[in-house]
Amino acid sequence: MSLAHKGRWITLVGLVCLAGVYVRALAFTPVERLQGPAQKIFYLHVPAALWTEAAMILVGLAGIFYLFLKDPRLDRFAAASAEVGTVFATIVLTTGPIWGKPIWGTWWTWDARLTSTLFLFFLYVGYLLVRGAVRDPRLRARYAAVLGICGLCLVPFIHLSVFLFRTLHPQPIIVKPSAPSLPGSMLATWLFSLAAFTLLYVGFVTQRYALSLARDAQQGEHADHA
Amino acid sequence: MPDVPQNAGYMVAAYIVTAVILLIYAISLHRRTAKP
Repeated sequence: MSLAHKGRWITLVGLVCLAGVYVRALAFTPVERLQGPAQKIFYLHVPAALWTEAAMILVGLAGIFYLFLKDPRLDRFAAASAEVGTVFATIVLTTGPIWGKPIWGTWWTWDARLTSTLFLFFLYVGYLLVRGAVRDPRLRARYAAVLGICGLCLVPFIHLSVFLFRTLHPQPIIVKPSAPSLPGSMLATWLFSLAAFTLLYVGFVTQRYALSLARDAQQGEHADHA
Repeated sequence: MPDVPQNAGYMVAAYIVTAVILLIYAISLHRRTAKP
C-alpha cells in the first residue's frame, strides 16, 4: 500500500470518528447551563487549536533539524505539517468568533490570545507563500526552516498569553497543571474529538508528504534522498 | 436558576463550518494525490 493510500485510509477513519464526535457532542453530551448549546463549539475549537500549535511546534523542530542535517525528508514533513496547521488554524479562527458572539457579545476582540493566534495564522500563510515563491529547493527549505523556528518560538507565548495578560479568552480547563475542571461526560467527548483531530492530522500530513515526495521525484529534486 | 441561553444556531454554524473546511481539504488532498 502506498503512502498516499495509507494517508487516505487514516483520513477516512478520522472523518468517521469526527462524525461520531458530532453525534456524541450534539445528542449525548449535556448542555452547559450558563453558556447553553454554544459551549459545545469547545469540542471542535480546542482540539483544533491544540493541533494548530502542535503542528507549528513540529514545523519548527523539523526546521531546526533540517538546518543541521539537510535531510529533505524533514523539509517535506515541515511543509506537510504547515499546510495542515493552516487548515486547523482556519477552523480555530472561525469557530472562536462564532462562540464569542453569543458568549462575549462580540465576534472579535484584540486581546493577547486572539491576536497572537491570528499572528500564528499569518505566519503559517507566510510560510506557505515563501515555499511557493522560492524556486531553489535548498534555499526554499532554509528560508522555510527559519520561518518555522520563528513559529516554534511564538507557540509558548500563545499558550501562556492567558496567564501573562488580562484577556477575555477563558483560562485552560483541560491542558493545565491541575486536573481538568470538566465533568466526565464532557471530558470523554473532548478526548474523543482530540483523537479524531489527531487521526486527521496524521492522515492529512501523510497524504501531503506523499504528494511532496511524488513532486520531488517528478522534478528530480532530492532524488538521492527519496 | 437562570434559563439556559438559546444559542443553538451558533453551535450548528460552527459544526457546519468545521465539517466544510475539513471536507474541502480532504477532497483537495485526495484529488492532488490521485493525479498521475
